[in-house]
This record gives sequence, structure tokens and C-alpha cells, in this order.
Amino acid sequence: MAVLRPFDKLPGLNSAALLLVGSDEELQQKLAEAILQEKRDFKISIHIATSLPLPSERDHLRPRIDLIVFMIDIKSKCSLKNVEASLAHVDATFFLGKVCFLVTGVGRVNCCSIETNAVCKLGEAYCSPVLFCELELEGVRVATAQRLLRMLQICAGLVPGFSALSFSLLMRNSADD
Amino acid sequence: MAEPISAEPTSELCPVDAKKELLMECNNIWEELEECQSKLMLLGIETLLQSDTKLALLMLQWKALTVDYQECHERSPETISTNPDVLLELGKEELQKVKNDLEKVLSAVCSKNKQLEEDLEREQQWYEEQEQMLNTLNRIEEETKPQVEQLYKTRGLEELHNKLLQLKTYRKELLSALGEFLDEHFPLPQDSGSAIKRNFSSEPAVELLALQDILEILINKLMATPHEPYVTINESFWPPYIELLLRFGMALRHPEDPNRMRLEAFHK
Repeated sequence: MAVLRPFDKLPGLNSAALLLVGSDEELQQKLAEAILQEKRDFKISIHIATSLPLPSERDHLRPRIDLIVFMIDIKSKCSLKNVEASLAHVDATFFLGKVCFLVTGVGRVNCCSIETNAVCKLGEAYCSPVLFCELELEGVRVATAQRLLRMLQICAGLVPGFSALSFSLLMRNSADD
Repeated sequence: MAEPISAEPTSELCPVDAKKELLMECNNIWEELEECQSKLMLLGIETLLQSDTKLALLMLQWKALTVDYQECHERSPETISTNPDVLLELGKEELQKVKNDLEKVLSAVCSKNKQLEEDLEREQQWYEEQEQMLNTLNRIEEETKPQVEQLYKTRGLEELHNKLLQLKTYRKELLSALGEFLDEHFPLPQDSGSAIKRNFSSEPAVELLALQDILEILINKLMATPHEPYVTINESFWPPYIELLLRFGMALRHPEDPNRMRLEAFHK
């Protein structure tokens, strides 16, 4: 069983890799495109998967993953279950700031089938930040892409003096307030 | 943990040895990185159970932070190179970045200022308009106050009162004159001395109404309910009087019902 490890490969020069794990492929595509449209000064590669573990055939072609974003759709309970099942295939050291939970579809209030409480508890249990967004709205999509890009930059170590761990602690303290 | 590699400044102004120096330093750092990487690969994989993830993760975080803390204490930050050209280039880049950021902040604050000023102006204008409106309304109120007071004075009302009284007295006079006239010329038929044979009118028990009363009933019915002016003829109406009224056109019979009659509407 292939477990994702944060430092099993050497990093690429001035580049970062993002992994989106979620059940809605169309939404993942949209988000990936929004991220790629942002202005940046480093190379970026976005990988999309529906669940972990990743197929091991293409393991040698994949770069080192810097940030994993687990996408949970608030309208479907099975996306939450899918994410929970995938979490078992991630090495513990990834959770030191290189994992983030993204809850999509919060714009439609009357179609929620997952409670935000449950998602927040999940985020707390895995010491990772939880972001809420509505990817159907263009403005929110662009803002989320910018946030994720910034997080990716930090997790890939491209911001001098600031590590992923310190960033996650910063996020957590501000969220608790 | 792995050290971040910052981007090299690409500048042809740097003399060749500065570039070489930087490249050598980068290579050294890369070798260190590979060493750390191989050491990390030897560490085992650790996945989290579902039950006590938070505790395990917090322990891990604590360990990592203590290591970081120790390193911060032991190591002092060193510059990437002591070559003055390199430092100059780096300094320029940093200052440029800061300048850009500050410019962005400046433009954001300026536009916000402008918005606030526009809002303030709009609010002030609205306030002035409201004040003007208030003043105008006050003025109108003051102007119309004396007029209203005048109207309340009962000059017109008194006139109407007087007219009403006059009409009422006139009406009374008319009615009493009519009553006198009717009593004199059309009295109630007496039982004795009447030309009617006893055989026909055998209703001594019924009290006959005077013509005055008949007329009163008819007038009242017409005035009270103009849409239904017909009065049913009952036995207290003396038939000759009815014939009298009918013959002189004062009253009319109901077109379909011979037992009903009405006063002619002279006022229409």
C-alpha cells in the first residue's frame, strides 16, 4: 500500500506540486485552472485524484507533493467518507502543515447534507486548516485559488524563513480566535 | 528539515567569480539536501489511526517545534554570500518588492479615501435636502395655520344654522296651516248624519283616520323610502277620501295591486 510521504523525493528547482483529492472531477478542474491563471514566479504542477492511494505505476513520474488539498463537497456525504478513507494513506509527517481541507458548495445553504461541525472536528483532529468556499462563483473561486497558491508557496519552502509548520500554527491560532 | 533554496539573481553585471561563488554554494547546499533526503528515506512510514489522531499529531508537532527551536538558538542566520555585487543585486530586488507592495497599499487606501469622500458628500447633500424640506414644510404649516383658524370661525356655519332654523319654522307653519285647512274642509266622517247607508259600511269598530293623517302617512312613506313609496290601504282609510285623492291626482294606485297607493311625487 503506497503511502504518501512528504520527503521521499528531491524537490524540483523553484517549483511546487499540488495534489487535489476529491470526488467531483469537474470542480477540481475548475479550481486547477483558476490556480494556473494566477500570477506567480515559480513553476507549478497540479495533480488531481479521486482518492488515495495513488496508483503506483506512475510513481516515478510524479514530483514531490508539497501540499495536499482534500476537497469535501458539502452536498454529498460520500465525499466526506471518501476523504476520511484516503486520510489513512497519508504519512503522519504530512500533517505538519502540508494538508488542507477545502469544503466546497457552501453557497447553497438548503442543500447541505454534512454539518460544518463535523468538518471542523475533522480539521481539528488532523491539525490542519479548513477552508470554506463556493467554486461556482467566480470571485470566490479566484480568491480560493490565490489562498491555495500562497499556501503552496509556503509549503514548498519558497518563502524564506517561514516553514509549513509555522504557517499551520499561525492559521490555527487565528482560527481559534 | 530541508533548507529552502532562494532564487538566484540572474544578472550579467556580476563578475564571473561572483557567479562561480554562488554556483559552488548552491551545489554545497544541494549535496547537504541529498544527504538529509537519504537519511529521511531510512525513517519508517507512520500512518495515523482514526482514534487518537489529534494526540499523535500534537506530539509530532511538539517534537518538530522543539527541534526547530533548538536550531534557532544554535544557528545564527548567515548571509548567502559576502560578495558585494551579489548583495547589491539582492538588496535592489528586495527594495523593489517592498516598493511594489507599498504602492499597492497606497492605491488601495487612496481609492478607499475617495469612496469615503464621495459617500460623505452624498450624505451631506441628502442632509441638506432634508433640512430644506423640513423648513419648507414648517413654513407651509405656519402659513396655513391662520387660514385654518379662520375657517373654524363659525361665520359660514352660523349662516347655515340660521338658514336651517328658518326652514324648520317655515315647515312647521306650512304643516299647521295644512292641518287646519284639512280639519275645516275635510273632517272625519261622523256616524250620525252621514249619507252612507248602514248596510254598506258596517265597520263602526275601526277608527277612521283623518285626511290629515292619511296624507301624513303617504308623505312620510314617500320621503323615507323613495324606492318603495307604496302604502297598503287598510280599513282605517275612509274610501271616499281615497277616491278624492285619486281623482284630484294627489295620489296614485299601484299599477298591479289595487290595494296599494302612493303619493304623487310633486318634488321631482
